Amino acid sequence: MNYFSTVIYLLRDRQAFLQEINQGVKLQSKIFALMISSCCFFALYGAIVGAFHSPLQVLSSAIKLPALYLITLLVCLPTLYIFNVLFGAKESIAQHFTLLLTAVSVIAILLCGFAPVTLFFLITVNDYNFFMLLNVAIFALTGIIGVSFFYHIMKPNADNDPEQGVKVRTNILRFWLVLYGFVGSQLGWTLRPFFGSPGKFELFRHREGSLLSAVWNSIRHLHF
Amino acid sequence: MKQELDNLNITNQTLEKLTGFEINNIFVGGVIGGGYRPSIFQKPKRLLSFWITEILVLVLIFVFTLPIGLLFNRHPTNGINEPSEAWQFLLVTLGITLIAIVSWNLYMWFRVKQLRILMHLLDEVDKYNEVVQAVDILDRLEAVGNSQVNLINRDEVLEALRVTKNTLIAGLMTEKILRESRISLTRRHELFANIENNLATLRTLEVKERASEYGQLLNEALQIGLSVHREVQNFSRFPPRS
Repeated sequence: MNYFSTVIYLLRDRQAFLQEINQGVKLQSKIFALMISSCCFFALYGAIVGAFHSPLQVLSSAIKLPALYLITLLVCLPTLYIFNVLFGAKESIAQHFTLLLTAVSVIAILLCGFAPVTLFFLITVNDYNFFMLLNVAIFALTGIIGVSFFYHIMKPNADNDPEQGVKVRTNILRFWLVLYGFVGSQLGWTLRPFFGSPGKFELFRHREGSLLSAVWNSIRHLHF
Repeated sequence: MKQELDNLNITNQTLEKLTGFEINNIFVGGVIGGGYRPSIFQKPKRLLSFWITEILVLVLIFVFTLPIGLLFNRHPTNGINEPSEAWQFLLVTLGITLIAIVSWNLYMWFRVKQLRILMHLLDEVDKYNEVVQAVDILDRLEAVGNSQVNLINRDEVLEALRVTKNTLIAGLMTEKILRESRISLTRRHELFANIENNLATLRTLEVKERASEYGQLLNEALQIGLSVHREVQNFSRFPPRS
């Protein structure tokens, strides 16, 4: 039942882990273990983020943060798989899913690594805008690392595939990463609040504007 | 563990090759699409793991139902903040989560029924591995000079374990072939005869060793062999699928 041992295996021996995915070894148990462990890590970080507001927000953010990452992944998976297969990829949808989950698990682990820092600022700083910006920075940093990790592991290999197919699939991957970021940010905006602005607890806010405009407003309110 | 005992152990990897399913202490065929092992209800540690998995799956399903809940509250004027809207949202998400978890459990129960013989054989493999471990413990006690442990007939115990291992492997192979099925009657009788031969050997060894300290272990090996024999006999009642 030890689902976290799969993540430890990924951290300890990444090459062997990725090789097993490429060979299709125990994909189902990997998928489930990565889903469970990344869900737990995201829930933990979500709970810390929500603690800025209230216990209800802790519960809400602990559910919303895993939802944000895992649903984004599910929404974008078919696009990546279908386009890749169309241009010569031989990996199955389960292999694509496992690789994506691996990248998402890396993001989850990185977020957990930042958890003590976030907790420290949660205790010592009582400024909503600062806390939100700090977390946006952490999410951006972990997201970039996770996405570049995914790009690295998904990049088609020139040794195994025809040159034309490799070029097209690399471009598809780049396009897909932009799409992934776009879907993720929009879903994040739909599921907000994660931090909970001062005042009454809100389960979901009214849908308006976009993430970028909200970040810009926060920067303006910081009074440099 | 000594190399010879290590070789006797039936690992999960071997089981997976023999059965064609992912196997662990709680599930056969994985969490998704597989079934739980009935033996979890006899072992508290496994049962706890099973319940933890159930809770984790429940949370995971709930996480994935959030968009459906939002879909039912598509045009709330001020988000979902009013108790009535929040209640409707929770009703939808929790309702779907509950339906999904009940369906998953029913499916698993159905798989358990379908794979009843395999589940039983896997329990026998667990018992067999426990006997191998018991021999290892006796070896280690003997190595530290515990004079109460008698190792006079160790070779015969190992022989009995080898025969039991072969019986179990033959049983698992038979189960897989019959499950997947287009086995000829000749091949079926061949496998069945193999198991019966092994059983006869085990019976001989058990009679010889009844008086020794290893008698209990041999008896255990014989019981495992008999159990496999019974299960394969059950199988032979069903005609091969065409």
